Amino acid sequence: MATETAPAPTEREEAEHDHHPEHLQHHFVSSKQQFDSAKLGMWVFLITEVLLFSGMFVAYAVFRQWNPDVFAAASGTLDQAMGAANTVVLLTSSLTVALAIHAIKQDRVQRCIYYLLGTLGLAGGFMVVKYFEYMAKFEHGVFPGAAFDPHGAHYEHLAEMTAAPQFFSIYFVMTGIHGVHVIIGMIVIGVLALMAWRGSFSSEWYTPVELTGLYWHLVDIVWIFLFPLLYLI
Amino acid sequence: MAHDGPHIVPKSILLKVFGALIVLTGLTVGVAYVPLGPLTVPVALGIAGLKATLVVLFFMHLKYDNPVNALTFTIGTIFVVVFVTITLLDTAFRGDLGNVTAQTVQEIQAEQERAQQRQDAIPSDSLRIAPSDYPNQDRGASMESDEGS
Amino acid sequence: MSTTTQDAPVEQAGPDEEETNYLNHETSIWSWLTTKDHKRIGVLYCISLAVVFLVAGVLALLMRAELSGSGQTLMGNDTYNQVFTMHGILMVFLFLVPSIPAILGNFVLPLQIGAKDVAFPRLNLASWYVYLAGAAFTITALLTGGVDTGWTFYTPYSASTGGGVLWMTSAIFVAGFANIFTGLNFIVTIHKMRAPGMTWNRLPLFVWGMYATSIVQVLATPVIGITMVLLILEQTLQIGIFDPALGGDPVLFQHFFWFYSHPAVYIMILPAFGILSELIATFSRSRIFGYRAIALSSVAIAMLGFLVWGHHMFVSGQSAISSIVFSLITYLIGIPSGIKVFNWVATLYKGSIWLQTPMLYALGFLFMFTIGGFTGIMVGVLSVDVHLHDTYYVVGHFHYVMMGGSVVALLGGMHYWWPKITGRMYNETLGKIAAGLVFVGFNLTFFPQLVLGARGMPRRYANYAERFAGLHQLSTVGSQILGLGLFLILGYALWSLAYGEKAPANPWGATTLEWTNTTAVPIHHNFERIPLVTRGPYDFHLADEVFGGGDGEALSDDVPQIPDPAPSAPSETDPTESAGV
Repeated sequence: MATETAPAPTEREEAEHDHHPEHLQHHFVSSKQQFDSAKLGMWVFLITEVLLFSGMFVAYAVFRQWNPDVFAAASGTLDQAMGAANTVVLLTSSLTVALAIHAIKQDRVQRCIYYLLGTLGLAGGFMVVKYFEYMAKFEHGVFPGAAFDPHGAHYEHLAEMTAAPQFFSIYFVMTGIHGVHVIIGMIVIGVLALMAWRGSFSSEWYTPVELTGLYWHLVDIVWIFLFPLLYLI
Repeated sequence: MAHDGPHIVPKSILLKVFGALIVLTGLTVGVAYVPLGPLTVPVALGIAGLKATLVVLFFMHLKYDNPVNALTFTIGTIFVVVFVTITLLDTAFRGDLGNVTAQTVQEIQAEQERAQQRQDAIPSDSLRIAPSDYPNQDRGASMESDEGS
Repeated sequence: MSTTTQDAPVEQAGPDEEETNYLNHETSIWSWLTTKDHKRIGVLYCISLAVVFLVAGVLALLMRAELSGSGQTLMGNDTYNQVFTMHGILMVFLFLVPSIPAILGNFVLPLQIGAKDVAFPRLNLASWYVYLAGAAFTITALLTGGVDTGWTFYTPYSASTGGGVLWMTSAIFVAGFANIFTGLNFIVTIHKMRAPGMTWNRLPLFVWGMYATSIVQVLATPVIGITMVLLILEQTLQIGIFDPALGGDPVLFQHFFWFYSHPAVYIMILPAFGILSELIATFSRSRIFGYRAIALSSVAIAMLGFLVWGHHMFVSGQSAISSIVFSLITYLIGIPSGIKVFNWVATLYKGSIWLQTPMLYALGFLFMFTIGGFTGIMVGVLSVDVHLHDTYYVVGHFHYVMMGGSVVALLGGMHYWWPKITGRMYNETLGKIAAGLVFVGFNLTFFPQLVLGARGMPRRYANYAERFAGLHQLSTVGSQILGLGLFLILGYALWSLAYGEKAPANPWGATTLEWTNTTAVPIHHNFERIPLVTRGPYDFHLADEVFGGGDGEALSDDVPQIPDPAPSAPSETDPTESAGV
């Protein structure tokens, strides 16, 4: 019964009200509240991404556990060097994103743009390597699903293996969906670089950079698991 | 948090973490060539988990962040483990009611045949129940009398 | 409600026409379609979901009409298959899962925690549009040949049947994002947007229910997304994950499907628990019994709900060990559910029960949810389920939970918050009649189905043996009474929009912020001033912190007391008045 209507806005509210930063939306009390909300929202979104990928990891685990030898043999036909190179590329891009956030927190906009562009370049490199990997597989009839018809010295032995199509289905679906995430990330990072160039960000407000960074690290983490599971073991 | 002075992870830490990640990548590739038998998968997953932890803690800032974000991420991860583990609990033990083999079916059929033979051996007339088999034909009355006694 | 003529507590210009509120501050269609106001989005969702519920409900009536006699009465077998499939899909994915969170959650939740809006208003609007896109895909699926796989899409059948399935699975994939957006928004809103003083222990239980729901939505929905993607790929590329003909495993599909769809059951029922706590507390005018137990049992159900999906697969050929484990964990769900029912009944005990329409629904819920829960435990028992699986017993069970639980709670909640949403009162007499019709109709429809199932009537058949005819006909009659009740509600709801009596700000004498601190119809920004919360949500007696936590009873007057929101509460209501009861 003792619900009071707040007699007056608190001091901070008042202060916010006076200079009212343009990025502050009306329903938030302070920039801090807005930033924390955005960040928590991003983390919640990230766990939906984790759960999305988990489905494919379950499929992988089940079929691998049923056919360990086939999976080992099929994984042997993937190009480990390209996989390892791509791992390093993605890890580096994670570093550059972290450095971009590091820079914008200190108002070094120019540096932030360079790091973002560097990330974009590395992500592009990742996709190029992926393209060559896919093409090498398609040339030898290694497709996902019904079109699976391996031929050529390196792949022939897969034709008689019962669960080899499953391995490659899982491989293409997992890396494909991961690739889609990389492309989405590239688009967003490109937009961020443009916004930074136009001077949208400062140490006062860099929420989009921070959130995209989180997203990009998650894409990296997924690959950290995909690499050994698909290429190495 | 911007104007309260955001927490900034020193560049040196970022670079050290990156170095560790590269070393671990090398390690996981190297380990793949060592025959570890049943340990292959756990070792590979362990190294990947370590790398992911480094990324989450330092690149994603979780070590210095609001605990609720860490909680969120932890819960998400736990449910991935739940999903994988419980599904494997089925697929790893699929068909664990192992008594249904071709041999079992034959044994059951043989048992049924023997039962049929036993039944055939008994003249069917001896099993038939006629009303005269009952001592008292009026069941209701007999029960009543039982109660009365 | 007409008995309460006290003035609305908050400074308010009376029921003036000029007064601006969220409904009339902008009136163009465009302003509705581009609104970022959580209240308006709730209303938009309400209209869309009402349409879906109407369509799916009519399909149900058609099914019952077909089953009014054995043999073909109304439609052929294939049509019947499509009808029950569409009924299931529409009801589950496009109605029940979004229903309470999207309508009442959107409208009430920010008001209850004293926020101006949800954390991400644009995302909230996007959620509605994504939902509409999902609905559009569903219509496309109907136009491209329909779906007859059952709402569960079990492979291999769903991987090999025609075009409609592809659209339908896409629809579910798309509509899933709408739920994720809502859930994400609510989690962040509850964490970050609470008014000053609104601690976790002062959150209304509806908010706790929504919180638990949101956790499930966020964790489970992505899995149905990836499942549907894999199913689409299975159909288009034959990737061979689920289809046994291609070396896949159909039971794996069931794992994927139920990892989402079992928690989805809790997405449907947890918000209902939340509504029920509000209704029971308000209409028995007593502080909720075991606040913390109710709040935390919601979260416990949300978590446990993820560990039991395999009880849908006892006869699907999963391993016996996992069946046993799933069966055991399933029993555990009974504990938090039982805690809730116990606490609600304990709240009613010695309360001043006020039998308004929302309370009738709440009491109906207690009865029907208890039946739904008990039958649930029974089908959760491994050995019993082998017999009852895929019979009408299961159909009866989940309708008792989904319809008798969720929908009845939604109806109760809609009546309860109707004055706040529309600013009008509905007709109380008709409301009570409709509540009676729904209760009688529902039980007449579904109790016979429990009996039918126990006697061996399998589900999903357009025909049945002659000996089942009597119970089937009873069920059909019940469905018509139920339908009559629901149409009556629709009728007087529309009537009330135009001619209903103007509602006061707090017709029920409730104590949560959306009643005490807003005008009759909330203004665009919800509150004139952000409230400062100094008490728990159900302090019908005086606040603990002021009067030392006396276990005050409700005021025994028949006339409900409107709690006074003004800071000067102590002088207005004599503490001895409540203590002396």
